[in-house]
Amino acid sequence: MSAFYFRKVLLPLVMLGGACVPQLLRAQDAFPLVPPAAEPRNVETSRDQVGRRFIPPSSFPKSPAGVEDLMKQETPQSLETDLTLDALLMMATENNPTLVQAQQQIQGTLGKALEAGLYPNPTFYYIAEQIFVDSETDTDTPGEFQGGAVQQEIVTANKREISRRKYQQRAKTAEWMAVAQQWRVCNDVRIHFWKTLGHRQIVDIRRELLKAAEDSALTTREQVNLGQATQAELHLSNVSLQRTRLSLLNAENMYRSQFAMLSSLVGVELEPQPLKGKLVADMESMIDFNQAVENLYSDSPEVLAATAKWQADCITLERERVEPVPNIFVKAASGYNHESREPVASVQIFMEVPIFDRNQGTIHQAEADLARQNAEIKRTKLRLRQDLALHYQKYLTALQHVIEFQSVILPEAKAAYANQLDAYKGDRQNWGDVLKTQREYYQLREQYVHHLITWRTNETLINGFLLHGGLKAAESPTPPGHIDSVAQPR
Amino acid sequence: MSDSSSRRAFLKNGTMGTFAALSVGTPAAAALSKEQHDSPSAQASKKQADQHEVQDEYDGFSRYRPSRGHDPDSDYYIGKRVPGFRNPADGPAPFIANDLDKLPWKMKNGAKEFHLVCEPVAREFLPGHWMNVYGFNGSMPGPTIEVTQGDRIRIIVHNELPEETSIHWHGFELPVQYDGAHTMTQNPIKPGKTFKYEFDVHEEGTFFYHSHIAMQEAFGMVGWFIVHPQKVWDPPVDRDFGVIFQNFRIDPMQTVVNSWSMDWNWHTINGRSGPYATPLVCKHGERVRVRLLDFSPVQHHPIHMHGHTFWITGHEGARIPKSAWIPRNTELVGVAQAADFEFIANNPGDWMFHCHMVHHMMNHMVQHVGPRLREDAKVDHYLTSLDTRPRVKMHQDPQFGIPGYPQKMQGMTMTKPMMKKLWSRREVKGMRANAMMSMAGLMTSVRVLPDDLYQRVMETDEKVPKGSIFKEIVKRFGTIEDYEPAPPDVMQKMLNDD
Repeated sequence: MSAFYFRKVLLPLVMLGGACVPQLLRAQDAFPLVPPAAEPRNVETSRDQVGRRFIPPSSFPKSPAGVEDLMKQETPQSLETDLTLDALLMMATENNPTLVQAQQQIQGTLGKALEAGLYPNPTFYYIAEQIFVDSETDTDTPGEFQGGAVQQEIVTANKREISRRKYQQRAKTAEWMAVAQQWRVCNDVRIHFWKTLGHRQIVDIRRELLKAAEDSALTTREQVNLGQATQAELHLSNVSLQRTRLSLLNAENMYRSQFAMLSSLVGVELEPQPLKGKLVADMESMIDFNQAVENLYSDSPEVLAATAKWQADCITLERERVEPVPNIFVKAASGYNHESREPVASVQIFMEVPIFDRNQGTIHQAEADLARQNAEIKRTKLRLRQDLALHYQKYLTALQHVIEFQSVILPEAKAAYANQLDAYKGDRQNWGDVLKTQREYYQLREQYVHHLITWRTNETLINGFLLHGGLKAAESPTPPGHIDSVAQPR
Repeated sequence: MSDSSSRRAFLKNGTMGTFAALSVGTPAAAALSKEQHDSPSAQASKKQADQHEVQDEYDGFSRYRPSRGHDPDSDYYIGKRVPGFRNPADGPAPFIANDLDKLPWKMKNGAKEFHLVCEPVAREFLPGHWMNVYGFNGSMPGPTIEVTQGDRIRIIVHNELPEETSIHWHGFELPVQYDGAHTMTQNPIKPGKTFKYEFDVHEEGTFFYHSHIAMQEAFGMVGWFIVHPQKVWDPPVDRDFGVIFQNFRIDPMQTVVNSWSMDWNWHTINGRSGPYATPLVCKHGERVRVRLLDFSPVQHHPIHMHGHTFWITGHEGARIPKSAWIPRNTELVGVAQAADFEFIANNPGDWMFHCHMVHHMMNHMVQHVGPRLREDAKVDHYLTSLDTRPRVKMHQDPQFGIPGYPQKMQGMTMTKPMMKKLWSRREVKGMRANAMMSMAGLMTSVRVLPDDLYQRVMETDEKVPKGSIFKEIVKRFGTIEDYEPAPPDVMQKMLNDD
């Protein structure tokens, strides 16, 4: 396990979400509204029965707040930013609080190991016995015996060393859990990096779709004036326009949300800004499902943590099995006997006799825990395989789509659009048909981005042992149970 | 002797046999015997020719100026029987189907033998617009078959189509096994196979041949079959034009005919669309015949000629007796019908000749909305970057306050090569500079030119500036003071218009 990610512990996470909302509200306040549409020439016009007289096209619907500002934004041509994926990973390493938690889980467990291995302290007694007893020479003596005693428990059967080994093994479990947490954080940063990049592209594409919707609404007006479209179609074009405007706002909201999530994961409050990176990656060899399963079984931090925990449970059982071996208590005293008027000493040696309680219940529990953990390793592997099946399906489907979108679908759709434009230029195509093809091309580009996001997300998960949840609190390696409830862990 | 052979013998030995043979100028004519020349009927024909005299004016009708004559009952009312300049002794005027070839023949075993190959054809409807149709011998419509009444003909049809076919000889009273009705009278001609049609022609008039497979008809498989009469029709004409009007459904951005459609959007005259359809050019004062066939799949055509009143002198069924001729400016020609128009070209100028159906006066209509109509919008801006597009101005031209605006079609893009091809034809020399903009679809023109101007246009290679012939006609026959030449920049603007 690399210690790099655990080296530094910085401030706790500052959530970005709260900070973003006021900005959005401020931005919405600043959005200028589209000028109100002109009133109909004649109020009676709207009451006319359809088709009895020409009704001029109604106005375009007002833009929802924010749309016009979004349409004015330019897509950055060059990304002059330091927000690369590596930079964000570094930020997360230094600032994500769950990594600190994971580190402290290790430290805490190591503390237990230390504590569990410490030898019992001796006990010191002052003893005054038989006070006021009469003697031949005196009455009401200070007592027959006044003196001090020291009692020491002598631990048998290597209990301290076994306990220490047990918690050291748990610390190893905690380490694997920390590795898992590291993957969770890194995977999540990567995934949200792809998502943020993708949704930024989707905002740009939705802008183009809105331009197409505006064109479509305008075209419908032109057609109405030529008797080629009806008022109903005009209304529906307004519906389409408004829905497209909302979809742009939705895309922008999604982008901001993704950026806020990314910012939260890296643990630093960042303003939305372009990221430096490419959603499209070079096509490397496709991940093989069986190989991915093998990788999970052999290298998954969750499997390794479960295995480490199983080893700790073995030690726990070993520890509980030696628990009935009685420790020996030795007590030695030295004092003055006022009756005999001479210094005396005493020695006691005692032990618990395991007649009734031979720790058989706890051993049984430890055995059960061990068996349970044995099943847990298998369960973890199967769960990972199950999760892999889901993510591999998504990965494979997305990758297949990406390849075909790149090689066939987008070039063909683009060619169709260019073809239509050429034809329209030569007066060989209706503009409405050109717009449909244009919209189709842009929608396919958006689908392509979604496939890219899905591809990169699932690829990241598969390569990252399916771990995600970068702000999920780091798990404790300590299982619940009364064994750990004693004052001194054993 | 069979009935057919006796009929053929009668026709071949008829009074006008010699005359008809000479008219086509074929080797067969030279082969005619001296006896035939000296026959009583030939002598009568010679007499008729010798008596042929042409006047400038007949009973108040002038062959040189718009006029009607004095009496609707007169034989010369609106030039009804006013003869052309052509001497009947010279035989019928040559049949001219612009932009189409004639099908050659050879005399074999007593019959004129023709060879027709049914095959897919690429036809240039407009300069640069090559459409995929079916036709004959590389042409759509097919080449013109031209015979004389009384001929025995043999037509060997070879099918190079990927599917079976049969050919119907439309209007002929022939032995039934040669009628070409698919399956009903003959087995279909399989791809790569040949079928021989052979029969005597006792009819005269305007006929045509076509595939008898409906979809192949919609693909354009038709051709003229002109039978010249042995006795030249009276009065003689100087010009005998043939025009086949057709419709096709060819979707925007397509070149293949959609024969399944019930809507038709491309229109051709002899396989070309206006303004690529070649004008019919004649001389001032001539008698002109136009044979018009509507071979559209489902649409009739009200054919209108500007500047003249014509007589309907025949249909595809037969020549009409003069007592039944009808004067018209517009004649409705139905699907699979032919009509013969005759008129004296007494009004010089470039006269539109077109189907009057609005949608037939244009091609491949598309809705005229979008950037081509918008201020400051250019399609090229869209083509510059396909991944982003210009934003439209969400306001409309104030003229959109008028319902119906805009009605003017924006016009198709004419590239320089296209314009060059249109103007390279002899028949259009000297027309107004923007004449090409006005003809589309089932539109062409009849050009009536004084002798000298006809010579400049049709018989010399001298450079004739655009508009010069037209202007000269206006100068001679109109009011030149009121004449406004075409704006010189119109075509240039058209060339540059995106």
